[in-house]
Amino acid sequence: MAEAAVDTTEDQTVDTKVIKERLDLLKGGRFKMWLEICAHCGLCADSCFFYLAHDKDPKYMPSYKVMKTLGELYDKKGDVDRATLEKMAEVVYGDCTACRRCSMFCPFGIDIATMIAAVRGICCSQDLHPAGLKAAIQNYKDTGNQMAMSSEDFVETCEWMAEETAEEFRGLEIPIDKQGARIMYTVNAREPKFYPQDIAEAATIFHAARENWTMPSNGWDDTNLAMFAGDGKTMAAQVKLVYDAAERLGAENIAITE
Amino acid sequence: MYEFVSGPLVWVAFIVFIGGMIIKTVGYINLSKKKDKVVYNHLNLDWSMRSIFRWLIPFGSRGMRENPVLTIAGFVFHICLLAAPLFLLGHNILWDEAWGISLWSMPDGVADWMTLFLIAAAIVLIIRRVVLPEVKIVTTSTDYILLAIACAPFITGYMAYHQWMDARTITIIHILCGELMLIAIPFTKLSHMILFFLSRAHIGSEFGERRGTVTW
Repeated sequence: MAEAAVDTTEDQTVDTKVIKERLDLLKGGRFKMWLEICAHCGLCADSCFFYLAHDKDPKYMPSYKVMKTLGELYDKKGDVDRATLEKMAEVVYGDCTACRRCSMFCPFGIDIATMIAAVRGICCSQDLHPAGLKAAIQNYKDTGNQMAMSSEDFVETCEWMAEETAEEFRGLEIPIDKQGARIMYTVNAREPKFYPQDIAEAATIFHAARENWTMPSNGWDDTNLAMFAGDGKTMAAQVKLVYDAAERLGAENIAITE
Repeated sequence: MYEFVSGPLVWVAFIVFIGGMIIKTVGYINLSKKKDKVVYNHLNLDWSMRSIFRWLIPFGSRGMRENPVLTIAGFVFHICLLAAPLFLLGHNILWDEAWGISLWSMPDGVADWMTLFLIAAAIVLIIRRVVLPEVKIVTTSTDYILLAIACAPFITGYMAYHQWMDARTITIIHILCGELMLIAIPFTKLSHMILFFLSRAHIGSEFGERRGTVTW
């Protein structure tokens, strides 16, 4: 493996109580059953591109990754030292993208990737998620988008794009905070920040389709890096931000970019 | 001894097996209703059924098509595992004598062949566990023990039928092996006998209804 996917934080300890709480929370219904019925058949291996890309190194096969992380956490009842947890974080952030292909290939339909994601939640609770995701999460909390863009800057960018594009497509508008629209459009935060022409292009399509659309001045970022990090609280808050914007504007549908 | 293993111990084995599986299954469903609420928002049993069905027929899923040896060994193993004990003449005579009920019975020669096929399939399963690195790395001793527990009733049953040793002794051992297997089911991964249907129902609906894609 090249660089570490996570920060090492030797001076911090592990809050076993929090880990135990999370393990107990998970051990209801699906998770408990999945860990019990895994037949160790190995069929998930060939579905995992990490396994295939590493010349079928068995350490990258999905159920092994779960056994070494979630399985071990349950065996030790959450009582692991920080170094062990850091190694687990390397696995669940660095050796898996939670693409869920393994879940589709498992003969029992065990949702292996969701178990990896659950371990991410545990690692996040111990501040072991990758630095890049930490920064994005802070931005979500501060500004409601991962690029720390202010609403003023966002609206200005949209106005600038509308102006430029209207030169070619007469009457084109990028309506902000319009009430009762059929579509409330949301974007990846990098669009207003780095690729505003993407917004212009979407506007062109909406214009040509004579769509009744809008974008909210706040709640326009449809990405959710908090979900990737396993930060359930921020993840939910970010989704709620977008949903609340749609409710506030009385929009019929929320559309996402990509 | 024979009266004990073929009398009270049978009761114990079946009560633990059936009662245990009912408690487990109902328990998981109730627990799930409390803790997995997100699943029940979009539960689509049609997608569940399709997912279950595709994984119950040979080569019904992509994973099965890509692993033909395991698929054949697995189906042979499971078909013989269920058919041989259920439709064996010797077993049905016992049921008839005890309860006046019985299922259709197959010729003993067929049962013999099924037993041998099951053992051959089990050998294939053991070999792949030892030889394939991606299976070896997740294998524990329990996996071998459970395979032995599942095969023992068949090996000893074959020996009992063909009277390879003192009939009474081997029959007692065979009955004990069968009872051990039944009792092991609710407490081990052998519970997949029923729980397979729950886990497939979930993933089938999850991917089908919420993502519009297949799990086979």
